[in-house]
Amino acid sequence: MQSSYFRVLLWSVLIAAQFCAGASAMADRVDPSDWLNRMGAAVQMTSYEGTVIRIQDGKAEALKVVHTVSDGVIHEKVVAQEGNGLEIIRIGNEVHCILPDRKSVLVEEWDDQSTLFSTLPSSEVRFGSEYDVSIVREDRVAGRQTILLAIRPHDGYRYGHRIWLDIETAFPLQTQLIGEDGEAIEQVKFAEISLNKEIQAAALAPSYSTENFRWFNQPSRHVSHELETEWHSRNLPQGFRAVLVQGEKLPGNEKAVTHIVYSDGLANVSVFIAPGDDQSAEGPSRVGGSNSYNAIIDGHRVTAVGEVPAITVEQIATTMGLR
Amino acid sequence: MNDAIRMQISAFVDGELPDAEADLLLRRMSQDAELRHKAAEYLEIGRALRGESNVKGIDRLLERIASEIDDKPLVDVVVKPESVPARAMRPLVGVAVAASVAMIAIFGMQITPGIDDEVTSESAVVAESAEDPGYTVPQQIDDQLRQYYLSHGASSSELGANGMNARLVTLRLSEERLSEEEVEDSNEADESADELQQP
Repeated sequence: MQSSYFRVLLWSVLIAAQFCAGASAMADRVDPSDWLNRMGAAVQMTSYEGTVIRIQDGKAEALKVVHTVSDGVIHEKVVAQEGNGLEIIRIGNEVHCILPDRKSVLVEEWDDQSTLFSTLPSSEVRFGSEYDVSIVREDRVAGRQTILLAIRPHDGYRYGHRIWLDIETAFPLQTQLIGEDGEAIEQVKFAEISLNKEIQAAALAPSYSTENFRWFNQPSRHVSHELETEWHSRNLPQGFRAVLVQGEKLPGNEKAVTHIVYSDGLANVSVFIAPGDDQSAEGPSRVGGSNSYNAIIDGHRVTAVGEVPAITVEQIATTMGLR
Repeated sequence: MNDAIRMQISAFVDGELPDAEADLLLRRMSQDAELRHKAAEYLEIGRALRGESNVKGIDRLLERIASEIDDKPLVDVVVKPESVPARAMRPLVGVAVAASVAMIAIFGMQITPGIDDEVTSESAVVAESAEDPGYTVPQQIDDQLRQYYLSHGASSSELGANGMNARLVTLRLSEERLSEEEVEDSNEADESADELQQP
């Protein structure tokens, strides 16, 4: 009797092991680019509801997120679980940021697919030139089986990414932005999630009546025109090239600034050039994973901004000059 | 639990613990319920000091946060720069200012009394050294730089941006602008009132 029990147990273990090995082999066989393609579609199409933990600079914050797409229109609600109870209500591109403690609503237009995952890399990036992408291992996140993709830069001029994708749906359950030292600069991780469940309209409604709130519209920037400029970087980090040059009038500024965007296909760096010679503004600055560097060159304030290491914006800003 | 640990937790909750120490503490917290409870307690005290309302279920959530923090080594993605110039290692002068902004960026708005109280940027900076040492009041980046961050966020989004929280950083910066507009509105209202009162 006992031997038959152990035989059943042994078979169960063997079958389970075979199943796991099969799933693993299946995951391994798929090209990383296919995973990124699937991820792009999953972020756009998947309905989800869950709790997201965001970790940055050693601090953890929690958000409740509800997201669904109905007739091609994004409906989303994001609620900060601590602090002032910020709520982001989104219908399509129109976004209402509700600040209940200040009885204010900030209205903005966002044209990306998701508040959380607006900026994930896609398979269109030319991997192999400045980055490598690979499948690292399988892992579990939020109780679900995932596959870990790593996007590794070839040098210290750009950040790396690690993305844990749900094996069943390719939905990103955890993402990390990796700095030059291999440490995560920031990470977003679902602690719990329900995928593809039916989302009730009430779950997407604001938690507050905003009737008596003050409403603010995001002042729009005016892109005057694409232009040709004599400004360029004399020592652009490898792989970056200018993808956009335009004149831009920013809110609060009378004069248009020249805005050049350099991209390596994944990381973008904006360079703004405006008349000015305030030496006190020179130097680096950082907001989250974004770095900036101000330099004064030929009577102009040259500012490079991007989600890249500090060295990258410094090198680009300080090597700008007229042809 | 000794005083050193308590002070470490307090510093962590206030966002004043160096990254390396914070990582170590987070690892310990993920394995030690008492530490997690103490951190939750300190967060509650901070909230009470700031006059913020409690959040239902925050204890459970904080436990979850602690237990969910992924402390796996990142060896599989460590990329050593091959030829980064030596200046990359130089201490960056402005980082201290910017780090305080980064600390409150996105959801750290509970530590922004200077903004919440509708004060000007100048007085917020003064407040950092003058009052309420329990938490950090951010210094603000100048308006032009903020506009650049916002513009970069917008154009990057159009191009397929990187940096998964870029959107939320721009939201935080937008909120700073909103705060300044409120101050301007209130100043204009005061001026109008003064004009009306003049004989």
